[in-house]
Amino acid sequence: MSTATGYYQTGSSWLHRRNPITKLLGVALALVATFVLPPIVLPVIGLIVVAIAWSTGLGRAIVRALRIPALLLASIVVVNALFFPGATDRLVSLGPLSVTREGLSFGLISAGRVLVSFLVLVTFLFTTLADDLLESLVARGASHRIAFVVLSAVQMVPRMQERAGSILDAQQARGLVVSGSLRQRAKALVPLIGPVLLGSLIDVRERTFALEARGFGARPGRSAYRVVADPPADRWLRLAILLGVVGVVVLALSGVLSR
Amino acid sequence: MSPDGPASITLSGVSVRYAGRREPALRDLDLSVAPGERLGIAGRTGAGKSTLALVAAGFVPRVVRARLTGQASLGDLPLTGSAGGALLGKTGIVFSTPANQLSASKLTVREELAFGLENLAVPRAEMDVRIDAILERLEIGHLAEREPFALSGGEQQRVAIASIVAMGTGVLVLDEPTAQLDPVGTATVGRLLAELAAGGTTILCAEHDPTILGGVDRCLVLDSGAAVTIDRPGRALGGAVLDPIGLTPPTLVRLAEMAGVDPVDAFDEAAIAVGLGATAVRSLAEMTADSRSGSASAAGWSARPGRPQVGIVVDALTHRYATGVEALRGVSLRIDPGEAVAIVGQNGSGKTTLVKHLNGLLRPTDGRVLLDGEDTLAVPVHSLAATVGFVFQNPDDQLFDRSVGREVAFGPRNLSRSPDEIALAVTDGLAAVGLEAQRTTNPYDLDLSLRKLVALASVLAMDPAALVLDEPTTGQDGPGVRRVGAIVDGWVAAGRTAIAITHDMEFAAEHFQRIVVMRAGLVVADGSPALVFAPSNVELLASAGLEPPPAARIGGRLGLGSTPTVKTLLAALSA
Amino acid sequence: MSIDWLTICAEGQSGICTPAIQIAYVAGIIVALVLLVFIAVRSRDFSTATLALIPVAIAINLAVGSLIVTLRLPIYLDSIGTVLVGALAGPWAGALTGILSNLIWSLLPVPGGAGPVAAFFAPVAGVIGLMAGFWAARGVFNLRTDDARIGGFLALAAGIVGAALSFLVIQATIGIPTLGADTTADDQNRFVLTGVVIMAIAVAVAWISRRSAFAFTAEDPRIRPYLTGATALFAFALVFALTRLFLGPTGWFSTIDGSDATFLGGLNLSSLALTDPAGLLVEAGIALLVAAAAVAWARRGDNARFFPVWIGGLTTGLVAAAISAPIAAGVFGGVTGGGTDAVVALFRTLGLNVFQSAFAQGLTSDPLDKTISYTVVFLILGALPLTVRTMFSRGETTIAD
Repeated sequence: MSTATGYYQTGSSWLHRRNPITKLLGVALALVATFVLPPIVLPVIGLIVVAIAWSTGLGRAIVRALRIPALLLASIVVVNALFFPGATDRLVSLGPLSVTREGLSFGLISAGRVLVSFLVLVTFLFTTLADDLLESLVARGASHRIAFVVLSAVQMVPRMQERAGSILDAQQARGLVVSGSLRQRAKALVPLIGPVLLGSLIDVRERTFALEARGFGARPGRSAYRVVADPPADRWLRLAILLGVVGVVVLALSGVLSR
Repeated sequence: MSPDGPASITLSGVSVRYAGRREPALRDLDLSVAPGERLGIAGRTGAGKSTLALVAAGFVPRVVRARLTGQASLGDLPLTGSAGGALLGKTGIVFSTPANQLSASKLTVREELAFGLENLAVPRAEMDVRIDAILERLEIGHLAEREPFALSGGEQQRVAIASIVAMGTGVLVLDEPTAQLDPVGTATVGRLLAELAAGGTTILCAEHDPTILGGVDRCLVLDSGAAVTIDRPGRALGGAVLDPIGLTPPTLVRLAEMAGVDPVDAFDEAAIAVGLGATAVRSLAEMTADSRSGSASAAGWSARPGRPQVGIVVDALTHRYATGVEALRGVSLRIDPGEAVAIVGQNGSGKTTLVKHLNGLLRPTDGRVLLDGEDTLAVPVHSLAATVGFVFQNPDDQLFDRSVGREVAFGPRNLSRSPDEIALAVTDGLAAVGLEAQRTTNPYDLDLSLRKLVALASVLAMDPAALVLDEPTTGQDGPGVRRVGAIVDGWVAAGRTAIAITHDMEFAAEHFQRIVVMRAGLVVADGSPALVFAPSNVELLASAGLEPPPAARIGGRLGLGSTPTVKTLLAALSA
Repeated sequence: MSIDWLTICAEGQSGICTPAIQIAYVAGIIVALVLLVFIAVRSRDFSTATLALIPVAIAINLAVGSLIVTLRLPIYLDSIGTVLVGALAGPWAGALTGILSNLIWSLLPVPGGAGPVAAFFAPVAGVIGLMAGFWAARGVFNLRTDDARIGGFLALAAGIVGAALSFLVIQATIGIPTLGADTTADDQNRFVLTGVVIMAIAVAVAWISRRSAFAFTAEDPRIRPYLTGATALFAFALVFALTRLFLGPTGWFSTIDGSDATFLGGLNLSSLALTDPAGLLVEAGIALLVAAAAVAWARRGDNARFFPVWIGGLTTGLVAAAISAPIAAGVFGGVTGGGTDAVVALFRTLGLNVFQSAFAQGLTSDPLDKTISYTVVFLILGALPLTVRTMFSRGETTIAD
């Protein structure tokens, strides 16, 4: 995985081949359904998402990515299960703490929603190149300057981390202690953050010149080099997804599922 | 594609003063650059080279806030307008830090080249044609599908230049484009500029590097913002012009002057060799007096006595990065106390990886590094800092404090030295790099080359037993290089160890008694400058992307054996 | 039509839920949408320098933020880049930086990246950028210690003090009702009423003092001593509140009475909870000492200049806490998987509900966090070379020489 492409995994599955806008609408549908529909349908949404993710052949990678929110999910469940003021229905008592039914169900629902949203987003990110997504958004009227900012930021992040690494080296070479007591670590903060900020701000000057030299500041029209595939089937798919969003909202407001 | 017709640059009476500065950066400059001409711009750090470059790129006052008086135009277009539209795609500029020259928003070189075309609203169908043409013409076709940030500095600079030329730009301005490149990168950029000029592109190039300056049609020399002279490089870079403003002529020009060669041929090694051979009758004393050229101005470093010396042993060292790259493949070195060692080689040959083991920043994958017999693994990095002082290539990785004086005090303070010791160390360190007057200045108000000296002073102030310098001379003008050289000389004279990574073979040959050549993670040559830069070694050096220093090349042509420095060359001539 | 399950319940019961949270939640979404539309319009005016700066600032946010996440400190410092852009390139550029930072932090494999959590706080980050631009335009980063505009900051500080004092007075006399599932309509009304009264007092204090005590003319000799006094007063209030929180008769130490054998091995620290009035004297004494130190510090050179910076950071932090609380409570049940979770858990054991503990947690870290961020940005801007400063539209007008 290249550092400049984020989570994207090269592939040619049916999901890879969809137009990014189609996939973005799909994400919107899944998120709306997750947060708007009653918790009872959460497992169904989850299963559908997992099935789609698995069909791309990236199932393993997605499962591995689950370690990212693992701590958060556990945290949501545990904190709510143990500390839920007003809850009375104790299930298990562990010394001064006890797991309550209200807390546990609130925690599980919150965690479930976060888990499903995460799966949806990760599946989207694994199969969609940021460059393709932004280029199609620009083609549909989004600002190409904001698109530039996003793409550039995505490439800057790994470089900034590299820079932070060499600053850590360089300051240690001047005798800076970066481990040890909290006081020592706090004292190390300015010598470490200072060069990160100042050095990169100095670079902004040259980067501005480079962009100006390439005509970025001028504003006639703009043409696009990257061609993003938009298969005919995607048109119908997008329509279907939009109808799906309307359907979910109507279903939610009618309250059919909560009775 | 070709530029939109011939483009000339005309400046008349141009003065520039930056907002908030009292002194103007350019004073009353007249200049006329013909279409297709290659103009070099030389001068000391802060002489106004960058400002002139910005004016020629049409950035003043549109992008850079400064007051410009006088007339500056490109053909019949004014360069000083506040809207950039008319100049779009007519003039472009490239600076020294390779990674900053890219748009940082594209995944492949091909798309990077398309970035400017997109902004010019070139139709999609035409883009590929233009990009393919430029890839072929500038011989970078093999890079087309690579990721821009994964390229080497030299490759990035070539892509940056190509992306400007792809826009159909008739004037290309460069501000020290090779300052951060290795000799191979410098050479390829030099060839690229020659190729562009042959194709009709007008080129303005501010540089310190003699290999680039030697190849231009005319050279403008600036001092304190004013033009000193504009002439053929052989004459403009001669002692008569440069000595009064504190710069040293390039070695080849100095030798050409001694040999009485016509300034037109001042960079022609064959002509110089012939001339020198014919003038061998002149007395050696006279010549060596000429060749000293003002090294008295550098203060050097007088070490306080009483520091223990340290010997370094590198034993079968292998290093593999987490990415799987094997940067060192079994390096063994023994560096005795008081030795001065220059490590040379192409970027990526493992030089920096090697020296980062000396103060424990990297841990050996295999093998050992011993400082005075003690394994570096056993000591934390910040404790090793007192023994091995390490000056990084990029000073901006280290500087953060509000004044130069406080910055230099940072190291000794970390080592818990007493206030008196710190005050003395700061004074000595600043004196060594000649920045006493800047003690209260904010480091970031100084030029990059001076910031490098601040970082050097901050390590000197820690008074380590061994000094490691990573590319200490990049971006330094002549006096700056001499200063660093004097510090190394003083350091070694005090019986301490100095190790430097450098791309400057002349600097290596003059100030180091031992040269270590690295190639692909291995040491391929190790010995005195005379041994390593001997004529018989030219092919080995070339395989490591290196070339012997100019004096050695001339000596080789004359069949004088190994003459790595001007001094040894003159001695061999008079013998 | 039934939408009961849509409400975000403060107490987890299945009954009627607190409407205040819902309103705040919807308001958050609306604020985010309005912000996005405005930024999209404003981005057309961004200079190339601004557009080159924003990606770098985003990377700075992430680099510093992920460092702090790895250290599990109860602060974030993930908005330094946002504040920087606000100061150099204006509020809208700042807002864009904040929003994109949080979105990208969620969508990139950054070490310490908190998964999808950060994206939900994007509106908060946007508002932080807006406020940074607002304060920079009002001179937070370039006020001299003899500038008449200092009066505005002193008046604002007086307003904050007025609000805090009236809150304490009301709580001690008539009492402030807590909101919960069993809150009566009467209590709710009283809660809203007290809130309005406190706000009104704050505004009145600020308004009147701005026009009387703090109505300075340029280079007024009173400004410096007033600034010094204000610095001391704030130091006193902060330290007094902190010592009270720990040492007061019902403070934190009083709860550690050894009854919980698992906590610090049943250590009994309740004797450290001092009884009034002796305790009050001790606490005030400590605070006075700190205040005296603050006076000495503020009188040295131009140190008093930091006061407006801190007011900017403090108010930004208060607003950030107020906006992030409903998001934290509504989306994550108050837990974000970061170092601040322990603080949330602590407040919940003290009997606060999800929303209240999320807000209380925000109040303990956000104002401090933003004050530190503003201070760092102030120092960095001071060290920025002129050539870089003058690249940005507001660089010259918002930075001190």
